[in-house]
Amino acid sequence: MTKLRIFRISPFVAALVLLGAISSLFAQDDDPEFAALQVDAQKSFKDGVGPFAKKYCFQCHGNKKKKSGLNFEVALKNPGNPVYRKHWQQAVASVKAFDMPPDDEDAIPTDEEREQFLEWIAKIKFLSPKDPGPYVIRRLTKVEYGNTLQDLFGIDSKVAEDLPDEVFGQGYLNNLSSLQSEQFLQIANAVLEQPQMQKMFESEKPAKGADLRKEARKFAGALARKSYRRPPSDAEVEVLLKVFDLARENQLDYAGALKLMTKAVLVSPQFLFITPAKEVVTDKKIVPLDDWQLASRLSYLIWATIPDAELAGLAESGKLHEPEILKAQAKRMIADPRSRALFDGFGAQWLGLNELETKTFDAKKFPQMTHEMRSAMYDEARLFFESIMRDDKSVVRFVDSDYTFLNGTLATLYGMEKTITGPEMRKVSLNDPNRGGILGMPAILATTSFPNRTSPVIRGVWVMEQVLGEEIPPAPANIPELEKQDEIVVANMTMRQRIELHVTNPTCANCHKVLDPIGFGLENFDAIGRWRDEDDSGGAIDAAGELPGGKKFTSPGELKAIIADRKTEMARNLTEKLLAYAICRQLEGYDEIVVDHLMETIEKNDYRMQTVITEIVTSYPFTQRRIKN
Amino acid sequence: MRKNTLIDRRTCLKAAGATLALPLMETMGWAESGKDKLPKPPVRLGFMYMPHGVLQDQFWPVTPETYLSSPPPALESLRPVLDQCLMMKGISGVPISPFNGAPHALELSTWLTAILPDAPTRNRVNIAISADQVMANYVGGLTSLPSLELATMPQTHKENQEGLHEAYYSHCSYRSPTQAVPAETNPRSVLNRLFGATDKSGQFSKTDPLDRKMLDLVIGGARDLRKTLPQNDQHKLDEYLDSVRAVERRIASIETRQKEAALEKAGVSTSKRNASDSPPIEIKIPEGDKRSEYMQVMCDLNVLAFQTDTTRVSTYIGSTPNGVSYPELGFTDQHHSQTHHNHKDEEKMRKVAEITKFNIDQYAYMVNKMANLREGDGTLLDNCIMMWGSGLEDGAKHSRENLPFIVAGKGGGSINTGRFLDKTKGNQGDLLMTLLACAGIPVDRPIGIATKEMGEMKS
Repeated sequence: MTKLRIFRISPFVAALVLLGAISSLFAQDDDPEFAALQVDAQKSFKDGVGPFAKKYCFQCHGNKKKKSGLNFEVALKNPGNPVYRKHWQQAVASVKAFDMPPDDEDAIPTDEEREQFLEWIAKIKFLSPKDPGPYVIRRLTKVEYGNTLQDLFGIDSKVAEDLPDEVFGQGYLNNLSSLQSEQFLQIANAVLEQPQMQKMFESEKPAKGADLRKEARKFAGALARKSYRRPPSDAEVEVLLKVFDLARENQLDYAGALKLMTKAVLVSPQFLFITPAKEVVTDKKIVPLDDWQLASRLSYLIWATIPDAELAGLAESGKLHEPEILKAQAKRMIADPRSRALFDGFGAQWLGLNELETKTFDAKKFPQMTHEMRSAMYDEARLFFESIMRDDKSVVRFVDSDYTFLNGTLATLYGMEKTITGPEMRKVSLNDPNRGGILGMPAILATTSFPNRTSPVIRGVWVMEQVLGEEIPPAPANIPELEKQDEIVVANMTMRQRIELHVTNPTCANCHKVLDPIGFGLENFDAIGRWRDEDDSGGAIDAAGELPGGKKFTSPGELKAIIADRKTEMARNLTEKLLAYAICRQLEGYDEIVVDHLMETIEKNDYRMQTVITEIVTSYPFTQRRIKN
Repeated sequence: MRKNTLIDRRTCLKAAGATLALPLMETMGWAESGKDKLPKPPVRLGFMYMPHGVLQDQFWPVTPETYLSSPPPALESLRPVLDQCLMMKGISGVPISPFNGAPHALELSTWLTAILPDAPTRNRVNIAISADQVMANYVGGLTSLPSLELATMPQTHKENQEGLHEAYYSHCSYRSPTQAVPAETNPRSVLNRLFGATDKSGQFSKTDPLDRKMLDLVIGGARDLRKTLPQNDQHKLDEYLDSVRAVERRIASIETRQKEAALEKAGVSTSKRNASDSPPIEIKIPEGDKRSEYMQVMCDLNVLAFQTDTTRVSTYIGSTPNGVSYPELGFTDQHHSQTHHNHKDEEKMRKVAEITKFNIDQYAYMVNKMANLREGDGTLLDNCIMMWGSGLEDGAKHSRENLPFIVAGKGGGSINTGRFLDKTKGNQGDLLMTLLACAGIPVDRPIGIATKEMGEMKS
């Protein structure tokens, strides 16, 4: 908040003192270049954004009216405050799309003014203090919890099946309800009844005359170390020993006492949450993650399970945080089959496939959408994602590739059922330029459709947001839906003609002139991803279109090439989404500068997927945490 | 890939059978009854939800006079109990500005909070404690489960409206402003939660007698850990401690119950329950994926939980706003897509009417069942307040001026039922405040935008 004070000094004085003030503030950064950028950003807001907002925005989005909850008068007082990030994002999206100010206003900015405004706002990232964000201890997700039990004790991860599914945002709902707590206890009971667990307890039989409590201490220490993913403190082992004593006082035998102790471990917060190895006593606000925490963070990111022996060894020797070692470990882990967890956890969410299994399709129209078909669709996307990751290909290949993975079931959607048969998924070369890459992949085409028809608009939004990372302003409330259109007029229109009515309405046109062409370009793929030349109305599909900037296309293949050409945006979008997933929170403020830095290296390495990952796991917010506000 | 939480096999619980150590009488609650007096059963409060509003002419009675004699089509299945229901027209929802683009993200999350999420922190959960959890804070300690949350649709929808956190889309119950309470979607798990785990033959397995003491030790250890953590982490750990304490309490009450059951079996009467009370209902977990059966088994579980006083407050999300389909009705269109009929598209309107009726039918199934269970001097329903409703007035307009809802049950005599009040003035918060008051909950501050209690509801 120190910057706020600086900001209020008149710009003239500020210009003189700022450099000195900021460089001392951020002495730990030792980055005069950054300080200069901060000064420049302050100036842009004061002299540029301020007057622009006053002229065009305050009337509706100021202290008086606050329409849509946006008050730029307040936001401008401290523009770098992450609280207002959404304000600025919406401003950018709406001004860019010519959505705001509304056409009926008296004062409308010129195109140049708009561009200038966007340029100024882009500097907002320099106004945030260097901050990795807090690393709030986090609960294992349902999947992580199941995998962890599997790796610890060799039991099927299905044991966690009954836990509620996670609500994912950027990050997830890091809560623990009593429902979950209760289920954790039930699951612990189920785990302990497994035969291999019984065997383990029985095999711990100490020699005759041995000091049982001493033996139990050894057992507790080893179990806690594995389960807590770090060396336990003496106090933590002591708690477990008390549980041992409790069991013994109640006449349980040695194995039974170990069993109760194991149950205590499984319901302990140290097991359910990723916690720091020890208390950090310091005046500093920001400290590095300890190596154990880092090992867990890395392991749960790529494998969704506990660190293996090699990772734990590097944490033990205190070497893991060295960037080269961290990168090498990430690469080693990617090569391991367990890295499919990165698809199941991140990739599927990114591509929107989590609902594929349960999504309703019109059974009469699409009897093909069986469980087998849905699984094959999901696996196609998964194997494709994994191939790009393991073979370290450019992320551009996500959009533009000449291969995919099919089995007999899925091949029917590609019209390749004659050559590809049987249930096994295998790599298949594609000659059809319209296929290959996520834009022509059935899983994605199906999840971006309605149960009984395609939705060019949803597909367009999906490409813009998920592939290119563009912010699409929300549709105005109470928009007339397609079906509202005059039935007689639209009866004989193709889907495209009906949707093109958007562009006749000025409120809709601004966004839809960008969204709709993309959706139309994919209209050759029906609601489950099959090729077609006519749509439901019987009219011929017209897949031609033009994107802003005069880029024209006539087929899905050509559209794909145009999108694939936007490498920087694609790579940045994927990097941002993966970073948010890795640090379990939305990106804000300083993170944007972090991503700027990551992108330099990623670009140099031809946007290779492994570089994206290694850059993220060695990044500032991944390796540091704020412990004080 | 995420597996659907459907039910895999059939189990019948013969509730009256001697093998079941439960469900039995409440042993910790019903405290207000004196030794010689007939115990006065507690008031239970339940909420059941359907998204997207209703077609007005299908739902609202034409006049107060015709309410009982010729109810509107959507209420047909409630006919046997309409005299035990109260309907009021004119309850407004929370105005959703500044989140105008998020009618569906907010219809459920404002439903029991009667307030909007905090705008600056919209990307996290930050709203208000919900009415059901206010009640759980007062009476939750008297029963083995503080509250019960049910849903017949996964709460995992991913859609970003106005930058609001995804959880707003699918959660109605909030333990605290920042803690959304997940709902249970698997009937078998609900059964386990209510009465302890069952094995494959439907027998209840005993709780481990040492679990409570073990949890005590773990909680002690967690407190030590808490001291070493930064403040943000401490809050997380507090949630953990809160949740584990709830588990401890539940184990304690299940143990007490099982002891009582043993005594009763031995001929020692410990029960405050009346001999004339109906035996606990039977639960059948369906095999297939018929939506009506799925919804009804959850209704049964809700009834059983209330009947056995295992909890006194419940929420039941029939579906979340992102739209479920109803193949049983002969079409696969999702609920949401059909609501945009603009009052012109007759086919869509017909489908919306059918979906609404389907949902109310399930609610009626539950309420009718409660009306047929004897409890004390009356029925279970007499001692309950079961509200059914939606967070939108009309899905086609996204309006919220006149929310549809039905209140069934007399709330232990506090609610004057059998009426349709067609000119009520009040808001969602007022309604929730009044329901809590009728359930005997002293509310020390308004629920959301509430300004008053609605005296016209009361007896």
